[in-house]
Amino acid sequence: THRPHAQMIPSAEAMASRKEGTGSAATSSSSTTGPAGKGKGKGGSGDSAVKQVQIDGLVVLKIIKHYQEEGQGTEVVQGVLLGLVVEDRLEITNCFPFPQHTEDDADFDEVQYQMEMMRSLRHVNIDHLHVGWYQSTYYGSFVTRALLDSQFSYQHAIEESVVLIYDPIKTAQGSLSLKAYRLTPKLMEVCKEKDFSPEALKKGNITFEHMFEEVPIVIKNSHLINVLMWELEKKSAVADKHELLSLASSNHLGKNLQLLMDRVDEMSQDIVKYNTYMRNTSKQQQQKHQYQQRRQQENMQRQSRGEPPLPEEDLSKLFKPPQPPARMDSLLIAGQINTYCQNIKEFTAQNLGKLFMAQALQEYNN
Amino acid sequence: MSRFFTTGSDSESESSLSGEELVTKPVGGNYGKQPLLLSEDEEDTKRVVRSAKDKRFEELTNLIRTIRNAMKIRDVTKCLEEFELLGKAYGKAKSIVDKEGVPRFYIRILADLEDYLNELWEDKEGKKKMNKNNAKALSTLRQKIRKYNRDFESHITNYKQNPEQSADEDAEKNEEDSEASSDEDEDEDGVSAATFLKKKSEAPSGDSRKFLKKMEDEDEDSEDSEDDEDWDTGSTSSDSDSEEEEGKQTVLASRFLKKAPTTEEDKKAAEKKREDKAKKKHDRKSKRLDEEEEDNEGGEWERVRGGVPLVKEKPKMFAKGTEITHAVVIKKLNEILQARGKKGTDRAAQIELLQLLVQIASENNLGEGVIVKIKFNIIASLYDYNPNLATYMKPEMWQKCLDCINELMDILFANPNIFVGENILEESENLHNVDQPLRVRGCILTLVERMDEEFTKIMQNTDPHSQEYVEHLKDEAQVCAIIERVQRYLEEKGTTEEICRVYLRRILHTYYKFDYKAHQRQLTPPEGSSKSEQDQAENEGEDSAVLMERLCKYIYAKDRTDRIRTCAILCHIYHHALHSRWYQARDLMLMSHLQDNIQHADPPVQILYNRTMVQLGICAFRQGLTKDAHNALLDIQSSGRAKELLGQGLLLRSLQERNQEQEKVERRRQVPFHLHINLELLECVYLVSAMLLEIPYMAAHESDARRRMISKQFHHQLRVGERQPLLGPPESMREHVVAASKAMKMGDWKTCHSFIINEKMNGKVWDLFPEADKVRTMLVRKIQEESLRTYLFTYSSVYDSISMETLSDMFELDLPTVHSIISKMIINEELMASLDQPTQTVVMHRTEPTAQQNLALQLAEKLGSLVENNERVFDHKQGTYGGYFRDQKDGYRKNEGYMRRGGYRQQQSQTAY
Repeated sequence: THRPHAQMIPSAEAMASRKEGTGSAATSSSSTTGPAGKGKGKGGSGDSAVKQVQIDGLVVLKIIKHYQEEGQGTEVVQGVLLGLVVEDRLEITNCFPFPQHTEDDADFDEVQYQMEMMRSLRHVNIDHLHVGWYQSTYYGSFVTRALLDSQFSYQHAIEESVVLIYDPIKTAQGSLSLKAYRLTPKLMEVCKEKDFSPEALKKGNITFEHMFEEVPIVIKNSHLINVLMWELEKKSAVADKHELLSLASSNHLGKNLQLLMDRVDEMSQDIVKYNTYMRNTSKQQQQKHQYQQRRQQENMQRQSRGEPPLPEEDLSKLFKPPQPPARMDSLLIAGQINTYCQNIKEFTAQNLGKLFMAQALQEYNN
Repeated sequence: MSRFFTTGSDSESESSLSGEELVTKPVGGNYGKQPLLLSEDEEDTKRVVRSAKDKRFEELTNLIRTIRNAMKIRDVTKCLEEFELLGKAYGKAKSIVDKEGVPRFYIRILADLEDYLNELWEDKEGKKKMNKNNAKALSTLRQKIRKYNRDFESHITNYKQNPEQSADEDAEKNEEDSEASSDEDEDEDGVSAATFLKKKSEAPSGDSRKFLKKMEDEDEDSEDSEDDEDWDTGSTSSDSDSEEEEGKQTVLASRFLKKAPTTEEDKKAAEKKREDKAKKKHDRKSKRLDEEEEDNEGGEWERVRGGVPLVKEKPKMFAKGTEITHAVVIKKLNEILQARGKKGTDRAAQIELLQLLVQIASENNLGEGVIVKIKFNIIASLYDYNPNLATYMKPEMWQKCLDCINELMDILFANPNIFVGENILEESENLHNVDQPLRVRGCILTLVERMDEEFTKIMQNTDPHSQEYVEHLKDEAQVCAIIERVQRYLEEKGTTEEICRVYLRRILHTYYKFDYKAHQRQLTPPEGSSKSEQDQAENEGEDSAVLMERLCKYIYAKDRTDRIRTCAILCHIYHHALHSRWYQARDLMLMSHLQDNIQHADPPVQILYNRTMVQLGICAFRQGLTKDAHNALLDIQSSGRAKELLGQGLLLRSLQERNQEQEKVERRRQVPFHLHINLELLECVYLVSAMLLEIPYMAAHESDARRRMISKQFHHQLRVGERQPLLGPPESMREHVVAASKAMKMGDWKTCHSFIINEKMNGKVWDLFPEADKVRTMLVRKIQEESLRTYLFTYSSVYDSISMETLSDMFELDLPTVHSIISKMIINEELMASLDQPTQTVVMHRTEPTAQQNLALQLAEKLGSLVENNERVFDHKQGTYGGYFRDQKDGYRKNEGYMRRGGYRQQQSQTAY
């Protein structure tokens, strides 16, 4: 309800440049990317091409800065990740933000913009290979159709691409929340078919747990920066470091509950829809069966009277099966609910810990 | 009479021939040739006047002549052209016409032309032969003249009734013209003179013939009366005729009697203009006049001296000397009445005739019966005057009507032996037999009811913001007085049914008026009892409340038609409510069970019902019963069509949906402005009561997911207020209420108070109440109380305990009130707290779930339903197996219940055994 997601689409040209890029990357580091190439080849067989994501500190800062400057409340910011694939490791070395969408500049050419940006970056000798995209989120509500579609088209075009989800609210509470996700190969298959009927999903053996896979993230900084960090840590006051010990957090929990409730409502509706479908199907099955029986009886009578049997009719025409509802949405909702639940679990666990700590402290002080 | 026409047209053709010369010839040319001269200077002045008038009239006559010619040769196109010119010329002559009255010849041509056209129109054969242009012109002209003649309706009918006079006059007119031209054409003049003579000599006989037809018992006085009548009609119907004759007389006078003109000095100045014309004529006419003198033999003399003032306003009715008996008058009456309702009847003339008849009857002492009878008919024809239900009476008609009814009532009161009733048959009427009680057919009640309706119609059709409306409204007292008189009359003589009807009328004129006197009396309690009693005696006896009570109770007891009773009840309730007798009003409303079946009533009664409900609501509000007020007003306000439902105006929105007919009907249903209920007041009362109910309720159910709203309308206003991008200080009543609501939400009663009660709102709303100050005090208190409740609902979670004294200070309520309010809240389980008596504090229990707990509960609920839904899917999948799980689960639950409750009871019962 509150996520004006723009769908991220890797442009055809971007793909082309990417292809070319991978080519060059492959040539440049052909000796080292053997396993990556192998991984690519094995992509279809079930294993993901990327086992790890390594992010430059610069990228993290840029993403945080982007949100801080442009995103507020439920608004979501997006951008493009640049980097390269090294073996089964995706290195994200740079990124650039995407301008916010407004109603006014409907004719804004995203593809053009991406191309321009990448070309310009290439001129200053920065990694310019498209390896995915990032997006901020509002209380972890990112499991949506838009994200699925975007990521699908990315992964379809650039197999190694990931989506980075940045949660500013959690970050503000003291722990950086940045997660990299990829669609599972199973989901990729299903998405390719574009068939979201219950049967197809069943066949694809997809459940909400197997939609996204999280790729572990490593943040890598140069040694110089590490040294600087150590220096800074020494200098900073104690209070700055312990934001995560804050106890005032009921609002966060409330919001999460509220969102969770909304999703549950949606889920309920979805189930009702599915229920109706099921009932309709079974009713029709019954009718069909009755009809066939009657037909058979009549034919038997005709036979006994020596008349020719009635011509066969196309049953599927007589009984049009009801349109099966798309199940992808309910899967997504389930996924979202799962995320919320995990969020809440995590949150409450942390909070409980904090409370116990506070209690202990209090007792100690007394 | 047809002969007159022929002669008329003869002379006409001649005059039309001579007319051409007349235009070129200087008018005053033949003055010098006049043998008879008046003094020079006198003539000079007159000549000036004459030329101004005659110039116009000549123009007209010329045109008329051309038209007549065209008529003769059936040249309708020409006719049309000339007719248009004629219309213009007439317009130019308007100022003179205004002074002189419409000239006869003009009316004549209009009437003739119309007849002629109708004739042509009827003549299908001739029409076929006509060429295209002519046919087209014919239809256009026909339409035009019809339209045009409408303005001259009365004149034309007059003309048609006695065309011989106008023919006469016309002939003379032509005569004049021809005479004027005769200087050059002696022969022609001779001819016209001859025709004139012929005609003139026949005229009296024609008159008498006509007269004979009318009067059976013509006695020896007939000559007198004939002259009389001749004279009368002339003077009333057309000035020119009388002038003409007077002219003749002056001529005679100047010849024979020097002093004669003095008798006519008081006649209109216009006659003088005629005089010299006559003088001019004189030498030509002398021969003829001699004859005329013989003919009339002093008749004309007597005319001049005699009944000029008296008979002047009388059209032909009876011969002067006719013995006016009942039979004659009744016969005449019937004659007049026969024309009633027919197409060509001039309704105004009819009324006039009837009035004359009354006068005659009273002059001749025919007894009250006849007069009553005629008066009934006058009033009836006054009502008939407008052919259309939608149009309303003209003020003068209305005045006439009122007077007439008053007179009628006078007579009826003065003569208790007259019986009036609509069930008295025409045959069994007794109009003159004084020995027996007089019986007259006619229903005074119906007349009065109709009068009342007319009054309503007049009020509906007057702009309520004009002085005119006020003027009309002054008549209301008169109407009331009449109704009261009828009521008194019927109380003596009428049947119960009639009494009920007249009572209802009375009620309808009483219920909406606030009885200030009674109110005043109430306000000054009987401390100085002797003095106030005296006052009471001065303030004519009955309170309207007592009156209403009496009238309504009679109707409740006696009425057999449901409608009158329903109306009476509603009015009674309205009256109670208006005077703040809330409990009586409410009880009456509830006892009557009107709410259940009002939807079957006709629209006017429904409108009355709506009005009553609204008044009831406003009354409840004044008493501080916000909930009742809200409930009473809810139906009217929630539809957003209050204006329409109260009959106080049509909505534009539905204007397209209904057709003209419906609109007319709806317009007739509108309540006159002086009965209106102020819509802004109504809305304000509703919104304020909604605010007083809704704001605490909202505060109490802040976190409740499934709260209902009490008033949609109020919420709508709030939302409108919220949507405003920029919130300025409130302007309208609604904005004030919204702003006040916002303040109240925060428990800020002072701001709320200042928004609800201030200069603007006083002017717009509160001052409209009869006891404005009382209402305001009530309101302030209500606001304080409800703000306190809201405050406690909103902020109770913040407090562990709160001192009642603090609360009493905050809301400026005294301690017991605060105590009672809080106690009530605790009892109703709205506030989870307890009172600590020694410290006078409220201790919060905090049993209320926190926001998180609430959310968690809601989530649990939702998850429950989700699971249920999901299980249903499972049922489908499992088919028959589904039942197994269910049963098992239910069984488990049952078991649980058994353990919890049943088990205990069982144990108990076991021990009992």
